[in-house]
Amino acid sequence: MNENNVKNEKRKRKIEEGIAIFVFLLPGLLLFVSILIAPIAVSVYRSMYDWNGFSEGTFIGFDNYVELFTNGSIKFINSLKNSLILAFFSVFVQLPLALALALLLGRHETRKERTFLSIFFMPVLISTVVIGQLWLKIYNPDYGVLNRFLEAVGLESWKHVWVGDVKTALGSIIVPTVWQYVGYHMLLMFAGVKGVDLDLREAAMLDGATKWQVDRYVVIPIIKPIIRVSVIFAVTGSLKTYDLVRILTEGGPFQSTEVPSTLLENMLFLRNRYGMGSTISVMLIILCFAFALLISAAFKEKDD
Amino acid sequence: MESYTLKEENPVIKVLIDIFLVIWAIINLFPIYFMFTFSLKSNEEIFGANIIGLPKEWLWSNFTTALHTGNMALYFFNSLLVTTLAIAISIMAAMMACYAITRIKWRFSKLTNAFFMLGLTIPIQASIVPVYVVMSKAHWLNKYSTLIVPYSAFALSMAILICTGFMSEIPYALDEAARIDGCGLFRTFFTIILPLMKPAVSTVGIYSYLQCWNEFMFANVFISDSAHRTLPVGIKALSGQHTTDWGPIGAALVIATFPTLIVYLFLSRKIQASFIAGAVKG
Amino acid sequence: MKRRIASIVMAGIMTLSLFGCGSASPAPTTDTGSANTETKTETTTETTQKEETTETASAGSDEQITLNMWCIATESDSNRHAYEAAIAEMAEKYPNITLNWEAFENQSYKTKIKAAVSANEMPDIFFTWSCAFLGDFVDAGKVYCLDDIYPEFASELPENMLGNTTYDGKHYGVPTTMNIVGLFANMDLLGEVGYTEVPGTYEEFIECCDALKAKGIIPFGCAGKETWCVTEYLESVIEKSVGADALNDIFLGRATWDNADVGAAVDTFQALVNNGYFDPSGIGLTNDEVKNNFMAGKYAFYMNGTWNCADFAANEEFLAKVKVAEFPVINADKAKLGQLIGGPSDTLAVAASSPNAEVAAKYAMELGKLICHYGYLDGCGLPAWTPYGDTSAVNPLTQTVAEICANADSFVLFGDTAMTADDANTYLSYVDQVYGCLLDGPQFIEGLAKDIR
Repeated sequence: MNENNVKNEKRKRKIEEGIAIFVFLLPGLLLFVSILIAPIAVSVYRSMYDWNGFSEGTFIGFDNYVELFTNGSIKFINSLKNSLILAFFSVFVQLPLALALALLLGRHETRKERTFLSIFFMPVLISTVVIGQLWLKIYNPDYGVLNRFLEAVGLESWKHVWVGDVKTALGSIIVPTVWQYVGYHMLLMFAGVKGVDLDLREAAMLDGATKWQVDRYVVIPIIKPIIRVSVIFAVTGSLKTYDLVRILTEGGPFQSTEVPSTLLENMLFLRNRYGMGSTISVMLIILCFAFALLISAAFKEKDD
Repeated sequence: MESYTLKEENPVIKVLIDIFLVIWAIINLFPIYFMFTFSLKSNEEIFGANIIGLPKEWLWSNFTTALHTGNMALYFFNSLLVTTLAIAISIMAAMMACYAITRIKWRFSKLTNAFFMLGLTIPIQASIVPVYVVMSKAHWLNKYSTLIVPYSAFALSMAILICTGFMSEIPYALDEAARIDGCGLFRTFFTIILPLMKPAVSTVGIYSYLQCWNEFMFANVFISDSAHRTLPVGIKALSGQHTTDWGPIGAALVIATFPTLIVYLFLSRKIQASFIAGAVKG
Repeated sequence: MKRRIASIVMAGIMTLSLFGCGSASPAPTTDTGSANTETKTETTTETTQKEETTETASAGSDEQITLNMWCIATESDSNRHAYEAAIAEMAEKYPNITLNWEAFENQSYKTKIKAAVSANEMPDIFFTWSCAFLGDFVDAGKVYCLDDIYPEFASELPENMLGNTTYDGKHYGVPTTMNIVGLFANMDLLGEVGYTEVPGTYEEFIECCDALKAKGIIPFGCAGKETWCVTEYLESVIEKSVGADALNDIFLGRATWDNADVGAAVDTFQALVNNGYFDPSGIGLTNDEVKNNFMAGKYAFYMNGTWNCADFAANEEFLAKVKVAEFPVINADKAKLGQLIGGPSDTLAVAASSPNAEVAAKYAMELGKLICHYGYLDGCGLPAWTPYGDTSAVNPLTQTVAEICANADSFVLFGDTAMTADDANTYLSYVDQVYGCLLDGPQFIEGLAKDIR
């Protein structure tokens, strides 16, 4: 009797859960599948075609994929390398800086901290067009701030045509990109830091821990899920980076700073190679997803 | 005002940290100054004569050009409407999906989560033409909703990712307690979980805002009448094929950015307060 | 006097040969002889189609019709005023036709129009670039053929102006203005080394550059970040070395890139780079920056499209200093003066999907004519249509260009417009490498011969 009741109860609960899962997921899934997943499916299909986007295409199987890696003039491998270099700097320069700022500002709750927090987030709110123009002025070979500064301190030999020189062009993109989004990750992490219970901190302090130790052994482990989110954003964001590259170098000089997204756009809309463009986007999606899974796995391993 | 201080820090380190913070603050404020002066200059000053100084001649006419011929006021309104609704939809959908994924135990929850994470990986350029073809077949172009729906879809993955981070910090004991009190799943979500997700709402809101406010590709292709144009496209339309007057573009950018900065400053206190209010006692 | 120049222009343009292109098959290059015969055949077709045309006209006068148009004449585009004036005049003439027009930014418009063609969402009338850009749409059957309507306008729009928008012998585009590459010179700076005129021969030209260099003046400004700016120099050098016919055949795929003369010409261009005539900073600059540098007196010469005339003329102080000329001949055996780079590229076309295609076609024709008219008066370019009315207000720079064109005998369209999209980008990336001295002439022709089908 009692057992039956429990069983019934359980079944009722399962049904209720099933309905809840369906209802809760419905709006998200509907949006997601129709706007994001269906186009990917189209892209996968189109990546097998030699197609210019408007006339009849011809089915060519995996030829586009083969060409992507074998045709040197497409520069896909190189663009991928550029993105990964950017991802490296994002993860190992931008994120530590963002974390340090979030921890520093998260320790106290005064007007000073609040003001700094607001200021540090501002570059994120400013359009990349402005950021790009500003850095173009900094890099300008003739009247740019950077070359003038080098002149002033007697390092004339260090002067460069920053965005026009193969040796410095990629660096000239990485610096502003990393800088602009420090605030982005900082705010994300700050929210996590603020979520850490004050009692926990106080307890640790009472045990004689320094602030650094509290941060290291109490706060960081708690905000790990958010750090993971940041790392995923940083890596996928780097793989999809686009705006500043377009404004600062246009992929040049000699396509040395091309990234997958600029290549993709060139193929789709400038070169009228819609099939090849789809191929690049499929590759990009696979890569981003693989990285996201890898990062998640890496974080899980550490937890265990 | 300090909340707790037991061990005094080395004062030298403290000063060094403060100096670093101030320098970093100046670096981060500079673009705003730059944008503002940029908006009041002529091409001649912008390119060479006076790149970062104050304008020699304060060209307020750049603003009149941007507002009148550039029609920035309308585009601003459009952007505001589209962005706000897109954020609202994506937050609601994300919270719900997130609840189903993290707070209810079922076999495919992990897989569903991974599926949603696919969204982070999709380059926006790749989906333009397929989405455009579908929308044109459905006669669903040149409306506000033409942008709102794709924007909320694109903001969804990130919103879910951020929400999962926050939601997993909420102790499961709360759900259990609610269950024992006889609360159904729906009531648990609306009365217990949602209020605790306040800090996530502000965070997701900011990040979705960043995605939608400056979005150019969709807005450019999907909207063909200037009545529904948004700011990024409107600003871009200020440059010509071979001739571009950069002053009004600067002015338009100021119009697009400064209200955001002001609202942000005004709200940042509240937003930050919500982070603390949302801190869950574990 | 000035009106006479206009008539000279037309006299010149009528007799010169303009190279056409087409994706399916290149349009015949028309000299005056064949143009005459073609006109004859058209008169016959005209009679057969007269019925239809009158029908269209009557339909146009009764019904209220709305036409949509997309173009790139944004607020700060130099053609804006011409569009506004032309559209106002059309509105007066056709009160029953409402034109809804929208202007988009140049680069993003390319994305937009291609997406619209893919989704069959084109407006009735749309702006396009001639040759390959429009050709892809024509191949896909998305563009309305203008052959029915053209005869009505044949007397005002010379057949040879349609070469770039003719595919398989059919006309698909209404050209508005045409532009060529001009050699702009800052005469103040040239004066400092003792020149009062732009040097007329290549030897003198090089001497002049050497003298400028010795004085610490940079001879050329060129935006390396935008490769089309490099082609303005490179294509002129190639054309003046190998001749217009040879270059045109290569651009249109009738001849291979593997041409030793072209290789030598590329080396000539590279010698200019290696001699330090170009601003070394240029490789990191945009065209906006370079143009402002030129106007600020940093460079003696600036080779770029003649659409700049209006801008230069608008700055009175600068107008007094600047002159425009033709690039001198390098190899007199193969090339001669009067062979220019350029041609009609800005074009209006009508969508095949338009429900009112016939009306739209007639409307586009008349609108194109008016845009051309006002654009010429504004100095945005040279007219593709026969100019009419008082043209004395045209700025002196544009008038000089008009004289150069009047004396021209052949035009080769800009390489990146003439070639198909994919080839054009391959070509641009090679040009980039030549400018950066990563490739020399022989490598350039060898690479292009291999990579362009």
